[in-house]
Amino acid sequence: MASLDPTTGMRRSQLYRRHINNKAVFKNTGYDFVVSHYDNGNDQHTELDQARSMAICDLSTLPRTGFKGAGARSWAENQGIKIPDSANRSIVQPDGCLVATLSDQELLILSDILAKSHQVTALGEQSTNDHLENDTQTYLLPRGDSHCWLAVTGNQAAEMFSKVCGVDLRPHKFALGDIAQTSVAKTNAVVIRQDLGQILSYYILCDISAAEFLWDCLLDAMQEYAGSPVGISALEALVSA
Amino acid sequence: MKPALPPRATRGRSLKLLTCPLNGSRNISEFTYGGEYHATPNHLTTSARDWAEHVFFHDNAAGVVTEWWCHTASSFWFLAERNTITDEIIRTFKAEEIYTQRVDFSTINPESRS
Repeated sequence: MASLDPTTGMRRSQLYRRHINNKAVFKNTGYDFVVSHYDNGNDQHTELDQARSMAICDLSTLPRTGFKGAGARSWAENQGIKIPDSANRSIVQPDGCLVATLSDQELLILSDILAKSHQVTALGEQSTNDHLENDTQTYLLPRGDSHCWLAVTGNQAAEMFSKVCGVDLRPHKFALGDIAQTSVAKTNAVVIRQDLGQILSYYILCDISAAEFLWDCLLDAMQEYAGSPVGISALEALVSA
Repeated sequence: MKPALPPRATRGRSLKLLTCPLNGSRNISEFTYGGEYHATPNHLTTSARDWAEHVFFHDNAAGVVTEWWCHTASSFWFLAERNTITDEIIRTFKAEEIYTQRVDFSTINPESRS
């Protein structure tokens, strides 16, 4: 497969130099370029096995957004969005995108990993129009350029996190959909448990300026579990398995 | 004879914790101190001296005080009642307990200020 050049896209991940050095093959999701897989002599089936045991994937160029304000919750419900009952919980919507409540007045919307959901774009436009026409007390909080988005997958992921995070993320303590806003490797981060297929997985969002630091820290922490980066094709295979 | 040291919140523990009303119990290193809580005086009627007192000065009281704290990982501001002698956190609570409605500041006419 001929690889796309990530520097020709509209946006690029802060990690693209790391990916190029690791012989990444990029593909276009319809929005921007993401790493499909790494051309390091292993076939994609091996990356799938890697994702099942211990892996990290960069999703930073996938669509995401957020809303904040006293009216954000009721406004989103009026748009047909299912909102979790309490803060620090997340729900996958019927079209695959994920809605997370970071507080009683703050929502985070992440696209599905196949980037099929159009909710992120549609909600962003709708909120701006509604806010201009009526004071909905809902304020758009774009997340695409403020935060990087990583996925850590594999049955050993919780054990690996115990080295770098004080919150107990083991599956029997940290349920599917739970959110921890905490320090990961001394970096402020939002950790969301979102299993991919049957495999224990976490999304991590941190300040985009710390993307390379956190990527290196997590790779270092997962070294003893033989963890390594995988492309999004391996995650897609987990979901469809 | 030296007086006995007061019990400290950290004594006997290797980790000092604070309970965020939004995120739960976390290492104190995840929090930032935001100063003493004081009710904001009405900026239209208060004197310049009282306003300066509110903005710049602190009571620095020995005993139970109410303080602003921020959970930096989520940028969540809340209040804590803390005993400054024993360093014991008595309780933490959301700002909504005090601020039950949106605070809007009406503008002052500069000519009306003496």
